[in-house]
Amino acid sequence: MSRWRYFARRLLLSIPVLIFGATITFVVIRMGPLDPVAAILGPTGDPQAYNRIQDQLGLNQPLWQQYIDYMTNMFTLQLGDSWVLRPDTSAYSLIVEYAPYTIWLGFWSVLIALFVGIPLGFYAGLNPNTWSDYTASFGGIVWRAMPNFWLAVILTEVLSQSGGYLFGFDWENWLVPVSVIGRPDLSNLFNPDILFPAIKKTAPAALVLGSASMGNEMRIGRTAVLETVNSNFIETARAKGVPPRSLVWKHIFRNALIPLVPIITGEAYLLIGGAVLVETVFSIKGIGYLFFQAVIQGDLPLVGSLMFIFILLVVIINILQDFLYTIIDPRVGYDGGS
Amino acid sequence: MSRIPDAENEQPLRERIADNPRPAMLWVAGFVLLVGVEFGALANAVMAMPWELLMAKLSFLKPIGTPLAVLGDTLADLPTLLTRANFDNSGWRQPGGGWGGTFLGLSPATVWALRVVLVYAYALVFLYWMWRGYLTFREHYRYADWTPRDDMVNRFRGHSWGLFGFVVVFMFVVMAIFAPALGTTTVERTIDNPFSYETSYLNQETGQVEQILIGDANRGSTSEGGGSNVAPMTYDKYDRYHPFGTMPTGKDMFTFMVHGARVSLFIGVVAIGLSGLIAAGFALLTAYYKGLVDLAVVLVGDSIMSLPRLLFLILLSFVLQNTWIANIYNGGLLLALLFAGTGWPFLWRAVRGPAFQVSEQEWIDAARSFGQKPSVTMQKHMAPYILGYLLVYASMTLGGIIIAVAGLSFLGLGINPPTPEWGRAVDVGQGYVTTQSWHISFIPGVLIVLVVTAFNALGDGIRDAIDPQSDSGEDGGAEVAAAGGSGA
Repeated sequence: MSRWRYFARRLLLSIPVLIFGATITFVVIRMGPLDPVAAILGPTGDPQAYNRIQDQLGLNQPLWQQYIDYMTNMFTLQLGDSWVLRPDTSAYSLIVEYAPYTIWLGFWSVLIALFVGIPLGFYAGLNPNTWSDYTASFGGIVWRAMPNFWLAVILTEVLSQSGGYLFGFDWENWLVPVSVIGRPDLSNLFNPDILFPAIKKTAPAALVLGSASMGNEMRIGRTAVLETVNSNFIETARAKGVPPRSLVWKHIFRNALIPLVPIITGEAYLLIGGAVLVETVFSIKGIGYLFFQAVIQGDLPLVGSLMFIFILLVVIINILQDFLYTIIDPRVGYDGGS
Repeated sequence: MSRIPDAENEQPLRERIADNPRPAMLWVAGFVLLVGVEFGALANAVMAMPWELLMAKLSFLKPIGTPLAVLGDTLADLPTLLTRANFDNSGWRQPGGGWGGTFLGLSPATVWALRVVLVYAYALVFLYWMWRGYLTFREHYRYADWTPRDDMVNRFRGHSWGLFGFVVVFMFVVMAIFAPALGTTTVERTIDNPFSYETSYLNQETGQVEQILIGDANRGSTSEGGGSNVAPMTYDKYDRYHPFGTMPTGKDMFTFMVHGARVSLFIGVVAIGLSGLIAAGFALLTAYYKGLVDLAVVLVGDSIMSLPRLLFLILLSFVLQNTWIANIYNGGLLLALLFAGTGWPFLWRAVRGPAFQVSEQEWIDAARSFGQKPSVTMQKHMAPYILGYLLVYASMTLGGIIIAVAGLSFLGLGINPPTPEWGRAVDVGQGYVTTQSWHISFIPGVLIVLVVTAFNALGDGIRDAIDPQSDSGEDGGAEVAAAGGSGA
C-alpha cells in the first residue's frame, strides 16, 4: 500500500469515527436518564415552560427525527444556543468569547512541554546511564505522576502568597504586577504592556498543564535517541567519518523525532482534558471552564455542541498526525499495518 | 526431577499432590493458620460491598442471597487478631500522668504505630507464604526443572526500579485492604455519625476525665490555618492522636486517607479488570479473524478514543448521578464502569500489535489446520502471549485512573461525599496551602504521586521481566497513551 493510499484510508476512516462520536454524545444527552428540559428548568417544574422548552428543543418529536436533526445540525455546524449558562446566546459566540484564553494557555503549555521535555529527553538519551540521565528520567516520571489539579492548587497558593515565603521573592509584583488567579488580558497582544502581563499571568497555569506531557516527551525522546544511537546507520556514518556534530544534529535528532510525533499531537487530548481542572483552579475562564459549567448547570444543548467541537478537533489532529507521519517517515504504510 | 513423562501419562496436579502430599500439606496448614487469624477481617471486607442494593435490584437472587448474607455477617463477627478491639488507641490522659483505656496503658500514638507495624508484618508474612507456595510447587510438583517463567521471576527480582514499584504498590494495597484496622479511628465514628459516639479526655481546666461527643470534639480540633490547626503527628485537645493531622472539619485525616485508598483501589481494579477483559477479548478476536471484525472494532475503539476522556467522564457522571447505579458503593461502581467503558480502547490498542504478531505464527496456522476450535486456539495459544503485555499496560493505566478519579472528586463529581476520596481532601484543603494547615492538600497529592509512580515502575519492571529485549521506543506511543490517557 502506498503512503498516499494509506493516508486516504485513514482520512476515510475518520468520517465514521466522527459519526460514532457524535452519536455517543447524542445517546448520553438525549437518551440518558437526565431529561434536558428538567435540567434546564431546575426544580420549579412549571408545565407551560416545560412544554415551551420541549417544543423549542424539538424534544417532542420522535427520537429518530431528533437524531437526524441533531446530526445534520452538527455536521452543518449549526451549533445551536445555550439554554442555561447564558440563555439565547449562540454556542458560536460563547466559543469565540471563551476559546482565546484556552488557546493562549494551550500554546504556552505546548511550548513549555516541547522546549523543556524534548531537549531534556535528548540530553538524557545522549548521556545514558549517567547521574544526569537518572535525574532527568526520574524527574520526568515524577512529573508524569503528578496530578495537574494538585500541582495547580499548590502553585496558585504558594505564588499568590509568595511575598512572605520565598525569601522575599514576590511573584505577583515581580517585573509586572499581576495576580496569579484570573483571566489574562488578551485584548491587544501587539502591545508589550499587555503582552508581558498576559504571558506572566499564564505561565504558572501553562507550566502545570504542560507538565504531564513534558514527562511523556522526555521519556519517549530518551528511548528514541538511545535506539537511534545504537542503530547500524549511525555506526556506518561514524565509520565514514561524519563529524560528531553533524552526526548528532543530522542523523540522530531527525530520526529520533519520528516517535515523538504521536506524543506531540497527543498533547491535544491532555490539553482538552486537563484544561477543565487547570482552568478551574486558576479561574481562567476558557473553553474547559465553559464546558464544566455547562455540564454542572445542566446546559445539555451547549454541552452537546462543545463535545462535537472537541471530537472534531481530536479527529482533525489525528488526521494531521497521520499526514505528518506520511511525510516524515517513508516506512509508514508499506506493510499495510496501522 | 528426572520424571519427564510422555504426554499420555502426564498426571494432573491433583494426582501429583496425592503422590507426595507432605510439602503441600505443610504449606496449606500455614495458609489456613494465616487466613484463620484474620478471617473475620476478610469476611468483613467482603460484607462491606454493597450487597443490599444489588439484592434490591436483582430480587430473583434473594433466596440464595439472604442465607449467604446471614452467614457472611456471622463470619464477619468472628474474632480477629489485628483489630482495634485488641489494640485500642482511643484512650485518655490520666490526671496523674500516663494513659487510661489504651492497650497496656501505652500512649495512643504508640498503640496505633504498633497496630500499623503488626498489620504490615502480617501482610509481609502472608506475601512470603505465597512465595513459598510458588517455590513448593516449583520444587515438588512441577515436571519441568525450568520454564521461561522462572527467568521472568528472576529478572524481576533483580530489577530494583520494578521492586520499588512493587513495594509501594504492596503497601498501598495493604493500606486499602486493612483500612479499618489501620485507621486511628473508624469512618463510622468520625465521619458518618460523629454525634452518636463519645470519647473520653482529660479536661485541662478541671483536671477531670470527661466525656464529649466526637462531633463536638471534632469541632474543637479543626485545621483551618490561622491558629486553629492540628498538625500531623500530634495530639488534639481531646487526647486523640492524628498521624496526618485533621481535616478542616476536625475529622481525622489518616482515617480519611486509608479509606480513600480503598475507594481508589476498588475503582482502579474493577475498571482495569473489566477493560482488560474487553481489550483482551477484542484483541484475540480481531487478531484471529482480521478483516471486517478488526475494522469494526477499530471504528468503535477510535470513536470512543476521539471523545475527550475526562470531559466525557464529567458529562457521564453528571448525567448518571441520580440513578440507582450511582448509589452503589457511593458512586464507586459507576465510576469503575465508566472508566472501563471509556478505557478499553487504549488497552486494546496496546495489545493489538502483540496479538497480531502471535496470530502470524506458524503454530496458530498449525492449530487451525489441525482442526482446533478457534476459541481454544485463542485461549491456549494466543492469550498467554498477550497476557504479559496486558499486565504491563494495566499497571500503568491504573495510575492514570487513580489520578482521574481524584480529579473528578476534586471537581465535586464521582464519589458521593462524605465518602473519603483523596481528590476531595485536596479540594477542601485548597485554601490552606500556605497556612499551618498545609498538610490537608499536600499529603494526598504526595501519596497520589507516590502510588502512580509506583504503578508505572511496576509496569516497567514487568515489561523488562517479560521481554528484556524490548525497548519502549517501538510501542512507546501506545504505552504513553495508556499511561496518561486520562488527561487529568
